Amino acid sequence: MKLKHSLFTRRQFLNGLLGGWLGALLASFLYPVIKFVFPPTREPDQVILPFADFRDMGPNSVKNFLWGTKPGILKKNDDGSYLAFVGVCTHLDCNVSYLEDQKKFFCACHDGWYDENGLNIGGPPPRPLRRLVVFIEGEDLIIKREGGERE
Amino acid sequence: MKTGIQSWLDERFGLSNITKFLKEKTVPQHKHSIWYYTGSAILLFFTIQVITGFMLVFYYKPTLEGANESVARIMTEIPLGWIIRSVHSWSASFMIAFVFIHLLSTWLTKSYRNPRELTWMSGVFLLAVSLAFGFTGYLLPWDDLSLSATKVGTDIPRSIPLVGAWVTKLLRGGEDVTGDTLTRFFGFHVSILPVFIFILLAVHIYLIQKQGMSLPLALESKKEEVKEIPFWPNFVYRETIVWLLLLGALFSLAIFFPPSLDKAAELMAPAPEGIKPEWYFLFLFQTLKIFPAKIFFLTGDTFAVLLMLLVGILFFFLPLIDNKPAERKGRIITIIALVLIVYAVVMTIWSLL
Amino acid sequence: MKLRKKKFLGMFLLVIFFVSFLILQLNFAQQVTQEEQEEKVQVKADQDKIIPSPQNIKESTGIYVFVAWMWIAILVLIYILSLKIREVDRLLKLRFLSTEKK
Repeated sequence: MKLKHSLFTRRQFLNGLLGGWLGALLASFLYPVIKFVFPPTREPDQVILPFADFRDMGPNSVKNFLWGTKPGILKKNDDGSYLAFVGVCTHLDCNVSYLEDQKKFFCACHDGWYDENGLNIGGPPPRPLRRLVVFIEGEDLIIKREGGERE
Repeated sequence: MKTGIQSWLDERFGLSNITKFLKEKTVPQHKHSIWYYTGSAILLFFTIQVITGFMLVFYYKPTLEGANESVARIMTEIPLGWIIRSVHSWSASFMIAFVFIHLLSTWLTKSYRNPRELTWMSGVFLLAVSLAFGFTGYLLPWDDLSLSATKVGTDIPRSIPLVGAWVTKLLRGGEDVTGDTLTRFFGFHVSILPVFIFILLAVHIYLIQKQGMSLPLALESKKEEVKEIPFWPNFVYRETIVWLLLLGALFSLAIFFPPSLDKAAELMAPAPEGIKPEWYFLFLFQTLKIFPAKIFFLTGDTFAVLLMLLVGILFFFLPLIDNKPAERKGRIITIIALVLIVYAVVMTIWSLL
Repeated sequence: MKLRKKKFLGMFLLVIFFVSFLILQLNFAQQVTQEEQEEKVQVKADQDKIIPSPQNIKESTGIYVFVAWMWIAILVLIYILSLKIREVDRLLKLRFLSTEKK
């Protein structure tokens, strides 16, 4: 297809090349800057803890553990089974606490309530507490991410 | 649309005078005009320092316990942190190297002649602040070498009679170099010195724009014959080429020769062997070494420091001293300048042997 | 004909840099996932000097590619800038000549 007139002048072409290459070079310098300023999130895939620390938990009690840089909550239910949560409120990231007498999780920041299974039942939290999966293998307590869930 | 926004802003800021000025600014072209690139090269490296500095300050911890460890973290954990640190370290050397080159070119072409005396004087302060940046930054990784270099460096002002001990205490945050010194140096490096350098740069750059580019002495009489090119776009395009080459050199060196990090300094440990300051202080370092322990009634140190101070003061007032640059006095001063330069180079090389 | 050649050359260079830029991105992205490996090396290096160096072959090739790409881009830019300088100097000369004619 032959055009009657040029799409752009020689000057525009040259300016375009100059701007384009300059932009590409600066963008390539920008890449390490961005990677540096936004380091990747450091949540572990799993956490292995000595079960001995948790063996003598009474029913309807919780114990904290470290989930990367977040607080994890291990809860022993009335029937002896375990539940694990990421102990961070789904509203605005405050750490939650467990009220044993009420069998509810409570977030003090904005009066958020979760039931004993982590389901959000009152206040602003939009989602239940994030669940983690618990395995007991011999002397180890292994806590893993739920399903293939990734942040 | 562009002109719409431009005129809206201009009605309020009135900056069209500046853009008009920049469009009309010219730069002389002669056999020494290559030196005109040195000033903006310094600005380029300084900008890189500010940007990489902003990034490093996100992760650096300016405390006794955290300093070395945080630098180690930057180098190993943070993605591409070692490149950012390496660029910061190399750009510091490049910046000070170009400060020296810029100093030499203005010194030897006597650009400080009337009416540019204040440009020179603000430049001398800029030199001092740049060296202070280098000195304070060197301590921040808090390894053995930098701790010892800081101990020596902050001890030197003590030899100044009357005020010496106070200067040392001001720098160290006490009698000795401690964790407080580290935090204080950090404060100087990221807060106090930047304020000073921005003020000085504003003065320096304003004067240069207002008075135009200087001409070498020989060409001053032939001012009308000297060819001038417009700053925009002719000079800027040439300057961009220079900047691209400098950036290429900087990043290549930073990527292939990154600085290492020794383990954290121990305050009570004896000084390690082979202490030396950064390369730009070597000539001063060597000068102190060659002075005998006592001269007349003064210690060798005091004499050396006073001598350096005297040279510094004469240096600062050079435009007023060299008030007849074209005559014999001017030529003698040029010879003295050359002697001092040779001295600095020889001392630097000697200290490395 | 000459203009068309220039256009083709321009398009070709554009495609090359886009492709190489993408490769670079991938390389660096992979480097980030090597972090676990890096941490093990760091523990060992804690005893003495920490000498920063690429931890694996992907990262070191990534670095070489980046430096090579950077220099290519710089040389291309210098070439384009030299053309622009020639153009702008020529315009300057014309302007001088036109005012002198008076």
